[in-house]
Amino acid sequence: MSDRSYKRSWKNLLINKSYQLRFTLFMVILSAVLILVLGIWVMRVANETTEVSKTSVRGTPCKKIPALVEEKDEAEAAPTPPPMKLPEEGAKPADAPVAANTGSDDVYEEGKPRRRAVVTIEQSTMEMAPEPKKQPAAVPADWGTSVVQHYACEINLQNKIAHLESNRLRILFVLIATGLLLVFGLGAYGIKMTHRVAGPLFKVGLYLAKMREGRLDKVYNLRKGDQLLEFYEHFKHAHAGVVKMEKEDIERIKVVIAAAEAAGKGKDPLVEELRGALARKEKSLE
Amino acid sequence: MSDPTAVTGTARAPKYKRKMSNYLLDKKLQLRYVLVVTILSAIIAGTLGFMIYDQRRLASESIESDLAALTQSDANNQSFQENVASDLESEDKALVYKMIGAGLGLIVILSLYLIIMTHKVAGPLFKVSIYFERMAEGRLGNVTPLRRGDMLVDFFDNFKTMHEAVRAREIADVATMEKVAAGLRGGDNRSLTEALDELEKHVDKRKKQIA
Repeated sequence: MSDRSYKRSWKNLLINKSYQLRFTLFMVILSAVLILVLGIWVMRVANETTEVSKTSVRGTPCKKIPALVEEKDEAEAAPTPPPMKLPEEGAKPADAPVAANTGSDDVYEEGKPRRRAVVTIEQSTMEMAPEPKKQPAAVPADWGTSVVQHYACEINLQNKIAHLESNRLRILFVLIATGLLLVFGLGAYGIKMTHRVAGPLFKVGLYLAKMREGRLDKVYNLRKGDQLLEFYEHFKHAHAGVVKMEKEDIERIKVVIAAAEAAGKGKDPLVEELRGALARKEKSLE
Repeated sequence: MSDPTAVTGTARAPKYKRKMSNYLLDKKLQLRYVLVVTILSAIIAGTLGFMIYDQRRLASESIESDLAALTQSDANNQSFQENVASDLESEDKALVYKMIGAGLGLIVILSLYLIIMTHKVAGPLFKVSIYFERMAEGRLGNVTPLRRGDMLVDFFDNFKTMHEAVRAREIADVATMEKVAAGLRGGDNRSLTEALDELEKHVDKRKKQIA
């Protein structure tokens, strides 16, 4: 039993397709289904959590920028009617028609909407005062700081939201990456590991074919890294057992042939038949 | 462990059934797969678990801080805030337990699957190993088929064909030797008689082996 250095080759990776692919595909499909189920659950939790965090961040108040307004009293700050100036009493011209109304006030006729009095002013002594010029607003001393603080806060919130979203995406990407890693990793690992089983089985298969044909050649060792070392030892024992049987048969037949020849029965057809069996057995051990 | 090559009764079909105790027939081969897949699954579940816990914790902390800001001026709301914080913490813990459960589930399912699948490989190998050991002792009895669902069917068929061929050759050789042992008798040559006696013993031994 000697060693013969067979090298692994990518071409021979699928040495026993039915066993290797069946084993690996089942494993890959199962892991893909598991990671899909796990992934859906993880993403649900991630989405929910991200949404809660984003809502919380959005609700965080930022200090408002103080408005730039004129310094006035509250009464002054209240909206004022348009500036109008009524003429003093007695200044009203007697000939000036104040109102003209063709109908009576609040005349109500049954079945018709109530009519309202309409006053038409054709001429008035009321003067329109010019709109007062607005005074320039006083800028508070810390107004600039407030603006900066406000926008810094806004940007900070946006960054927090972006960070949360990027975390969510990171979970998604890691999930996809781990899923792919699991599927492809298990696929590659499955093929590699089954190859380490299929390799010795392939080798044993070749020896089995030889034994079937009656050839009991030398049995070489497995390659480094191969599995089924114990199984291969069992095979070597079996091979050695068959070789031993053949050797015992050869030894026994040789004794009988020699005794038959010594007894002058060397040409007997039975001895010839025995010689045929002996030759076959000896050839099987070459 | 029951003999997977046993033939029961008159029928040739084996009665050997799978047993839980026999699932790890070849521990070294089977556990190697299981260990690698377990480690891989644990890493994946751990990474995902940590990330999801991190995100969840971030959300809880955000809510807790917002709540603290809202209730800081009101002492009456202090207990409410503590209750909410406690709820959030217990929810976070529940998520961790769920993640651990999911990770363990992933590991258990994959490991069980691998043990079953490797058993379907280890089973035929175990059976063939027994036949190999019998062959090593020169015993060439009948070979019973594999169980339903076993893998390596092609390999087993290859082995069975070889076994039958070796057995058939041995049966033919035994028949030849038996015929010779009977046919060459009749003379008074002592050495030939002794050789034929030994041959007969040898044939008897072989007959027992191939029975």
